This record gives sequence, structure tokens and C-alpha cells, in this order.
Amino acid sequence: MSALELYSPTDLADALRFIEREGKRAAVIASGTDLLPRMRKRQVAPSILLDISSFTDDLRYIRQMDGVVRLGALTTVTDLLEAPLFHANLSIIREAAELFGAPQVRNVATVGGNVCSAASSEDLISVFMALGASVKLISASGERLLPLKDFIVGKRETALRSSEILSEVSFESPTGHSWTAYEKLGRRNMLIISIVNEALSLTLEDDMRTIRSARFALNRVSGRIPALAVRTNEFLEGRRITEEAIVQAQKVLASELSLTSDFRGSGSYRTEIAQVFLKRLIQRCSRSLGGAS
Amino acid sequence: MTKRIITLNVNGTEHPVQVDTPDRLIDVLRDQLGMKSVKEGCSTGDCGICAVLVDGKLVNSCLMLAAQCDGRRVLTLEGLLNDPSMKRLQGTFMTNNAAQCGFCTPAMLMASWDLARHSSDPSPEEIKVAISGILCRCTGYYQIIDSVREGCKGGER
Repeated sequence: MSALELYSPTDLADALRFIEREGKRAAVIASGTDLLPRMRKRQVAPSILLDISSFTDDLRYIRQMDGVVRLGALTTVTDLLEAPLFHANLSIIREAAELFGAPQVRNVATVGGNVCSAASSEDLISVFMALGASVKLISASGERLLPLKDFIVGKRETALRSSEILSEVSFESPTGHSWTAYEKLGRRNMLIISIVNEALSLTLEDDMRTIRSARFALNRVSGRIPALAVRTNEFLEGRRITEEAIVQAQKVLASELSLTSDFRGSGSYRTEIAQVFLKRLIQRCSRSLGGAS
Repeated sequence: MTKRIITLNVNGTEHPVQVDTPDRLIDVLRDQLGMKSVKEGCSTGDCGICAVLVDGKLVNSCLMLAAQCDGRRVLTLEGLLNDPSMKRLQGTFMTNNAAQCGFCTPAMLMASWDLARHSSDPSPEEIKVAISGILCRCTGYYQIIDSVREGCKGGER
């Protein structure tokens, strides 16, 4: 890290001009809670850091308008925890924020950083995926909106171009008979990296027994890549919530997961936990809606 | 040219310091400003014993680039030695034997002091959350939790 430089742009436009020019050898840094340890471990070796941490006026906000929730990239996890918005059928965000790192990390770690890190250890990705979130990517030449599920393309790989900065995560507030819930398993309760985390956004039909849509997302679906459990979600659509349907859905989920083992847990253990979480999440959402469980 | 001069307000005093890009806040606090209460443990944000307050928020100083802290207010244990709330916490830590090797103690005190600012009667659950980012490897947490509960009580804020 001897010749490392830090560029502190004067404003967002300056930052975008800079990254258009230097993007290939630069890394964007907000709080650095993920980037700095990885640089020290020599997992990444940028030659220039682009400091966007001062753009809180532009990029740190939580807004809800016309049924859409918008989170600026520099929104911290503590901001999520303290926002009055994340209760009732959006309590999934608060649940995930409560289990995220520890206070010192939550105070600075950002929404944008978590999503751009694109690792199975990032707690917010599965939550945002379950909510059907999109990301806004800005550059000197304009902006584009991408579904989060398409943004994450591999382990620590995203569709972010070297000239772009992620500026916002947005999702539609769940409507109708919808509820959301989150489960995370680690070795202890705090300051842990997930062995499994699983998020669900569930919408029921008016009969409160039939699933209109289920969106499960996990921190790992294949290898170490966070993704939607597409086949499980398709399987559950239109089904009544019964013991039998849940057992079958658990089998579908197991068949679409291909989980690797590491020192935190084996692939088969992760799969089993993911199945347990599937049942628990459906029951929690359904109960919260006052429906069948 | 990667060196730059920044101004850090540490414990109420402005310090111009020269930093290189890779220098973290903990490096500057310990090596340039002599704030040795700030301990380096894991350097990856897992153990929390480098915790200080930056602009009133508890953070791990090993996960923060010093160059990004230009103009910010940093508070370490050294700056709170005459603070009544901190004195009370130090007292309860002593009477409850909440320090054994003492390596995590400064960070535990900073997290506890931060909690005491917001709550005069925290529940054990709130205390556990407040100190959850700091690992103690010897005393165990119950003495610490008792100390924080007693230390938060009774003081004017």
C-alpha cells in the first residue's frame, strides 16, 4: 500500500469525472469498514481511493414517496435502525440492521458499500433482494437503474462499470397482504458473519391462506453468491400454506442451493438451516398477517 | 505525493498532523499523538478494542483512514479522565473486578460512557448490545455488565 493515493473530490460531479478517467485503477471508499481490511489482507490493491464519504448531503437519505422507498448509498446501518419507517411490514430492514456487525460498525458502514461488496457476508443484500430492490448507478454520462438481482453477478462481482458509482437502493413498499421477515444464523448473536441469512417478502391472497407471491433470498444460493431462490419462489406461488406445501418447498429449496463448505459451516449444514428458516419465515410472515400458519 | 496535512480535533485540542494515505486513525492517535489507551487488536473490525468516538459516534479506529478524518472531532479515554460519568464507570469497573488483563478496558469504558450519555438506567440487554462489538478474552462479561449498570445510574447528565 506504499504508493496509495486518496482523491478527495470537491463535489459529486468532480467525483464522477475522476472515476470516468481513473476508474480502472481506483476503488471507491465510503467508510472503509469492508475495503480497508481487504486491502490489508492484500485481497484488493487499488492504487487510488476515491473518497465519497463527504457527500452526505447528496447520498445519505431515507425517503418514501409514491410507494417507493429510496436509500442513499451513504445511509448508514445505524440510520436504518433509527428510521421510523422500518416497522410493520418493513421491519425486515430493522431486523437485519440489528443483527449487522456491532454498534461501531453500524455507525459507519453504508448501504452502498454493503451492496457493492457483493459478498455472502453482507447482510443487506438478501434483504434488499427479497424486497425486489433496484440499484441506481450514476456516471459522468448519465444514470441507469438495474434490478439488484442482476447487479450481483458473482462472488464479489457486480455489474458496476469502472466509470460508475452506486448512488441509491430503492424498492416498492410492500402492498396488500404483505409481510417481510429475516433470519440470520451465526456462531453467536453479535458481531458475526452469517453462516446462513435468509429474507422473505410474502404476499397472500385475500383468503389469507394462498400465496400470491413469495420472494426468498439468501446470502448464498450457489457457492458464495447471494441471490433469490427462484425455483422455490415459483413453486410457492399460488399454493395454499399447508404443512405439506412447506415440506415440498423445503425440498425445492434444497435442490436449488449448491452451497460450499468453509470454516463457518458445511454446505449440508447450511442447506438444512436454510430449510428451517424457510418454514420459520413463512410462519412468521403468515402469523403477522393474521393468516394460516 | 500521498502525504497530506489534516487537522484532527482530539479531546478538544486541534492537532495538525501529517498523514500518508494508508495511515489509519488508530495509527495517528497512537503513534503521533500518544493516545495509548487506543489498543490495536485484530485490525479487521472484529475485536473493537480500538473503539473511539468520532463526531460523537462510537467507531473502530482501525477501520478508518486518518485522511478521511480531516476536521473531525475525536474523543479517546484520555479526554474523559476528569469527566464525572467516566470516573463513576471507572470506579464501578474497579469494585466489580471488571478488568483483568485490561486490554479491552479502555474500549469497554468508551462504549459504556457512550451508553451512559443516552441512558441512566439501561437494561442488561441494552448494555449487551452497547458492548457487543468489543471482545473481552479474560474477565468475562458479567462483571462488565454489572459495572456498566451501576456506573450509568445516579449521575447528573
